This record gives sequence, C-alpha cells and structure tokens, in this order.
Amino acid sequence: MSYKLPSKNVFGDTPNTILKFTDDTKSKYITVPKASDNTDYQEYLKWVEEGNTADPAD
Amino acid sequence: MSSQLKVNAISDAAGANGNAITLATDGTCTAKITNNLSNRNLIINGAMQVAQRGTTSTSAGYQTLDRWTSSMAGTDEACTFAQADVTAGTDPWKAGFRKAFKVTNGNQTSGAGAADDLSVTQNIEAQNLSNSGWDYTSSSSYITLSFWAKSSVAQTFYTGIRIYGDDQREYCFAYTLAANTWKKVTHSIPGGSGHTILNTNALGAFIQWPLWWGTNYTSSGRAVDTWQIKNNAANYPDNTSTWYTTNDATFELTGVQLEVSDHATDFEHRSYQDELQRCRRYFYKWNKTGSNRYTYSGGYSSHNNSAFIDITFDPEMRAAPSAGSFSDANVTSASFATLNPECALYIATATQSDAAGRISTAVDFSAEL
Repeated sequence: MSYKLPSKNVFGDTPNTILKFTDDTKSKYITVPKASDNTDYQEYLKWVEEGNTADPAD
Repeated sequence: MSSQLKVNAISDAAGANGNAITLATDGTCTAKITNNLSNRNLIINGAMQVAQRGTTSTSAGYQTLDRWTSSMAGTDEACTFAQADVTAGTDPWKAGFRKAFKVTNGNQTSGAGAADDLSVTQNIEAQNLSNSGWDYTSSSSYITLSFWAKSSVAQTFYTGIRIYGDDQREYCFAYTLAANTWKKVTHSIPGGSGHTILNTNALGAFIQWPLWWGTNYTSSGRAVDTWQIKNNAANYPDNTSTWYTTNDATFELTGVQLEVSDHATDFEHRSYQDELQRCRRYFYKWNKTGSNRYTYSGGYSSHNNSAFIDITFDPEMRAAPSAGSFSDANVTSASFATLNPECALYIATATQSDAAGRISTAVDFSAEL
C-alpha cells in the first residue's frame, strides 16, 4: 500500500485529497477525500500514524 | 345482529407461546403479526439482488454484492465470492428469493490455521440501528435475525453481531446445517444493560457469518447466546473446521433480515430499484456502461482550456466518497476538485481544440463502512 499527494489543478489549487495506489506499479489509484468519516481516509491516517509518509506531488 | 367479544388476550390453543394478541384497557391492542409488514429490515440487499461492482471475485472486501463484504486471511488458495442463482423449486426460491451470496472454498492445503479467517459480513450504519426502535439497553427488547443458508458440508456454524458505542460488545449464536439442504435460521437477540450505539453515520454494528475463524480468535469457553465486551481472543466458540478444510466446499446465504421484534416476520421483499437506491448511499457506479461522458468548458476567461464534469449523487452518499480509477482522453492534469456526499467535480485541462475531453469508463464512488 502506498499514497501520493495530489498535484495542483488547473486553477492552481491543491485538491483536498490523497491518492491511494491500488497496484504495485502505481499506475492505478483511487482519490480519497480528506473527510474524517471516509474509511479510506481513516485507513490513511492510521498508515501515517505507523510512521509512513505519502510520496510528494509531481 | 352483531355480537361483541370481550377478552384481554388471544393465544394459540396450547398457550405456551405467549399471546398472539394482547388487549389493553384503553381499547388498543398489540399483535404479533408475521406477514405483510414493511419497513422493517435493517439489512440492505438482504435478497442479494444488487451487484454493482460485479458478480464474482476471488478478493476479499467489497467486491461483488452491494453492502456485503468478506474477510479472507491465511488461505492457501483464494475462495470465490459470487452472486449465485437460487435453484428453482427449492424452499428459498418458493419464498421469493432468486439470488444468493455464494462462497466457494479454495484448497486449504495447510489446514485450518490458527490465524486464518474467512467470513461474510454486513456493516450497519449506526444511526439506522440507534433510531430503529430497539431499546438495546433492555434485556426484554429484541432484534431478530433471520436468513436462509445452505452448506455443501454438514456442520455447526456461528453467526455474530457486534455493536459500536462507548465500547464494543459482541453476541453470537449457533446453527447447524445438513449437507446441501437449505435451512431458514431465526434467532432473537436481546438488548442488555449498559449497551450503547452511536447515533452517527459511522459503523454501528455488523452481522457476521464466519466460515472459519482461527483459534487465535476463538475459545472453547466462549458461550453462545450471550453478550460480552469485545474479546478478540474469544470472538466465537472454537469453530469446526470441516467446511474450511474441504476443497471447493460451498456456502450460500440469502433472505437476510434484521428487525426490531422478538420474533421473525416474513422477509420484506423490496423491488430491485428500492434496494439499488439504498445501496447507492454506500456505493455509486457512475457511467456504469462506460460510454463517453464529455467535459464542458468552465467559462472562466483566464482558464479557457479548463474542462469539467459535474456529478450529482442521488441519494446523497453516507460520507464524502473515494473515487476509483478511470480512463479519460484529450485532457491532462485531471483530478477531483470536489468529493462531497452530494456531488463530485472532475476538473482537467483540455489538450485538444478539435476533440472534446472525456471520461470513457465507469467511475466507482465508495462511501462504505
């Protein structure tokens, strides 16, 4: 499991999301909103608590 | 000519099962009616009709039937989870069920490991249970679970419920299936002193059907038909491993109903559309057929090449959903600028002046528990 921070969008804003890779080659991902009641985001926070860090944005 | 019957209760001839109708002194009555009732089932997709994600998978988690998830750990060969047809003429078929959740075992060559687990589960949103009318703090208030089950291997199985509040409490009961024979199982579960259940959109309870729960998580001393504070070393009594150690053994489940009652009533059959709408609070497959869904210009003068797709969720989803991977074309720098329970906004930079940007696959939005 790995994560990546999102790039800025066309307006120059950074989306309030995290990208979760769903394959080993990091070619597919799901977009996870930073919402406390989203279970994927809860899983991400637990992953960070365990000492992991998401890859930086492109 | 009319007559009047003045009684305070009506029961069956034996009278051993309590009153079917109890009349109060204020002219009202309560009745234990078992048929033609509605809006009772706390389980969503209990008849296994809706499968937005697909109909077969060898992976655990939410993969096939909506609202149904599975765990699978330590297996030598993966099991197959599938939406299956109920055979015509069988008892559940006669009761109106056409689909079932079927688990086909893999070949567990190293036997039933202590850390292995295999189960089927439905997670229940807390506010649906806390507002159901069940006085979960009272041992004389009940919820009743009923379901049809069939196993290719004769065995005693367990089913469990866990509730989430100030703490986590769990209850389990046993049932026995003969080989290859559908059985309707019913079990009433009392509330209990000190029980709490959240009143939010978080996980409030789950109902679980373990097919194998390793001895790391079970205990010979775990009693059935009683509540306990969650104990991961003794969630269930020690499981029988016959099913799990039989290659290609099958287990089928359908007609699952959980209701506030001290007895089971007939299954509340809902239309496919009714169930689909309920499921979409937790999972929404947008652009299901994978047709081209074109972007449109945002109209901002300083961003003439910006492209959008605005997606509305109806019904509103349980939480801001995660968006699955998808394919798009003639755009770059695509992302979801908004992911809210009621809508999502896809935003990208158009790269072609003569060909519109588009998404050309389905997109999965998940707000599962």
